[in-house]
Amino acid sequence: MQHYVLALSLSLMCFVSLFFISAVMASGNKKTFSSPEEKRKKYIWAMFFIGIVVTFTSLWQYPHTISKSVHAQAINVTGAQWYWEIDKEKVLLNKPVVFNVHTSDVNHGMGVLDSDGKLIFQTQAMPGYVNRIEHVFTKPGEYKVICLEFCGVSHHDMITEFQVVEKVVAQKENKND
Amino acid sequence: MIKPSHEPHSNLIKFTMLLAGAVLLLMMIIGLLMRAAQGDLIEIDPAIFYQLMTAHGAGMVGAASLTGAAIMWYFVSRYVFLLKEVFVVFLTLFLFGVLFILGSISLGQFGAGWTFLFPLPAISGGAWETGAAAAFIIGLILIGVGFLLMNLEVGRKVISAFDGIGGALAWPVISGKVTPDDAPPPAIVASMATIIFNTIGIVVGAAVLVSSLINLYVPAFEVDALLAKNMIYFFGHVFINATIYMAVVAVYEIIPEYTGKPWKTSRIFAIAWSAILLFVMAVYPHHLLQDTVMPAWALIMGQIVSYLSGIPLLTVTAFSLCVYLRGSNIKWDLASALLVLGVAGWSVGVVPAIIDGMISVNKIMHNTQWVPGHFHIYLLLGEVAMSFGFMAYLIKEAKSSEFQMIDKTAFGVYLAGGIGFTLMFLVSGAMSVPRRWAVHAEEWLLQDRIATAFALLVIVGALIFVVRYIIGISTYRRT
Repeated sequence: MQHYVLALSLSLMCFVSLFFISAVMASGNKKTFSSPEEKRKKYIWAMFFIGIVVTFTSLWQYPHTISKSVHAQAINVTGAQWYWEIDKEKVLLNKPVVFNVHTSDVNHGMGVLDSDGKLIFQTQAMPGYVNRIEHVFTKPGEYKVICLEFCGVSHHDMITEFQVVEKVVAQKENKND
Repeated sequence: MIKPSHEPHSNLIKFTMLLAGAVLLLMMIIGLLMRAAQGDLIEIDPAIFYQLMTAHGAGMVGAASLTGAAIMWYFVSRYVFLLKEVFVVFLTLFLFGVLFILGSISLGQFGAGWTFLFPLPAISGGAWETGAAAAFIIGLILIGVGFLLMNLEVGRKVISAFDGIGGALAWPVISGKVTPDDAPPPAIVASMATIIFNTIGIVVGAAVLVSSLINLYVPAFEVDALLAKNMIYFFGHVFINATIYMAVVAVYEIIPEYTGKPWKTSRIFAIAWSAILLFVMAVYPHHLLQDTVMPAWALIMGQIVSYLSGIPLLTVTAFSLCVYLRGSNIKWDLASALLVLGVAGWSVGVVPAIIDGMISVNKIMHNTQWVPGHFHIYLLLGEVAMSFGFMAYLIKEAKSSEFQMIDKTAFGVYLAGGIGFTLMFLVSGAMSVPRRWAVHAEEWLLQDRIATAFALLVIVGALIFVVRYIIGISTYRRT
């Protein structure tokens, strides 16, 4: 998704830049902008229309919704200067996982990276509060937890890992435990 | 149209811009060192890196806000009589604040970032002492008090000269009782709106700073972390936005001098600034989109207002400037080029900011390098470009009015450097590179190194702007 965001942003940024470049190029011309107020109105309505569509489509399902699924797995994650504590090292594939994120000292940011190093979601860890976030992992493998809120001199060292495993493997390992 | 009737405080403002220009340059060099360290081109201890990061953040926000304040003061003082002494007190408090901040970082090794996110200043993990955190917070409070005094002086004079807050915000133009010809000039409307939200922002910021200060010495005096975070981001967002909105006054006042066409307060302009006044204050929850304990309505409001904030900028300020430029026969020189670049950079920079303001995008982009990517666009190529443009305007009579080759070169180098530098942040953000990490992974080094080269170009351009300015004001002093 990040690459789509980058491509969309760069396209719109180029559009805005071209608007300025064309105005600068036309500054020496005698020809002025024809009916600018009409054009302005069109831009304003276009922005309102796009805004309404984007707002509804992006918020139709609230991005921080926690499902009430009985199959949801809960993980407690606690940030501290400068390490993470996770009470489960393995979670199941294709099942909702609810992360209850705490901190024992300052603000931290729990960012989860997939095995390709791509950030797949994040939430903040805040003193006195528990931020909850849900995710369904669709790829098995090693996932990293990093800190995304500046928390002091070893902020960049706050890295830990957990695994997303197939159900069968998880059951077998649980028996061994 | 109401015309300027007073002489602005030129020498005081020239001195202020000299100070700000020097600090901007110094902070750019610190930024270069940080990118070089992230790119593994030089070695900086992480503790030092985070101290430099704190200095860079506080210094850049401070210098940019100083330029914004100087611009607003200069142009408002052409319409109303402002007490020069108030600006002197503001500048003095500002400099004392800077001394405290520099002392806390260089002597006390304070490195909690300029956003002083509660309770990090109090819980350093052994990296700095309580006294260093206190000095940093006191420094910020001194700067805030200075800004408050400056805002109150401009605010009270504008309110009394333009028939109250509504008059200064050109509400009679919105209602149709007054025509644009009799309306307050755009500089007054913009300044009035900015003073209102910046004053409220500073008061909220001071409250959370004082609470943090007490908490440093009396830990039993607990501050709710969520409330503190809301207050800090409200203050931080409002303050940095006020900086840009003060600087754009230079565009409204200077560009008409270059084209001979007045920039009037039209009905749409007045509506836009009243909307900005509300949006700037209502949008701050977009900094807390990943705090899921926040009420859903607040985060949804953050996303919606984040988008709405782009409408007045893009369809009023940017659109009007482009309409205004077409067929204007504007005389291009360093000042006019940098002022137009400033509005363009600001307008382009809001695109990635608005997109990051969506909760679902923010979930994968927040606190990656995407964030410094967008704010460096509208600061480096926006506010700071406007400030350098204002500096070039202040000395334009001291040098040839032509757009000289050295100025064109500096402008081109600064622009190319700024584009490349900020693009590397955006690309890194899309690659999930976290922001504010002293140590970078091997696979992120390429963008860091390219960014370092572009940062060098920015500094070369900025150095030429500042040196030309120093030569310009020296010429004035001799003549």
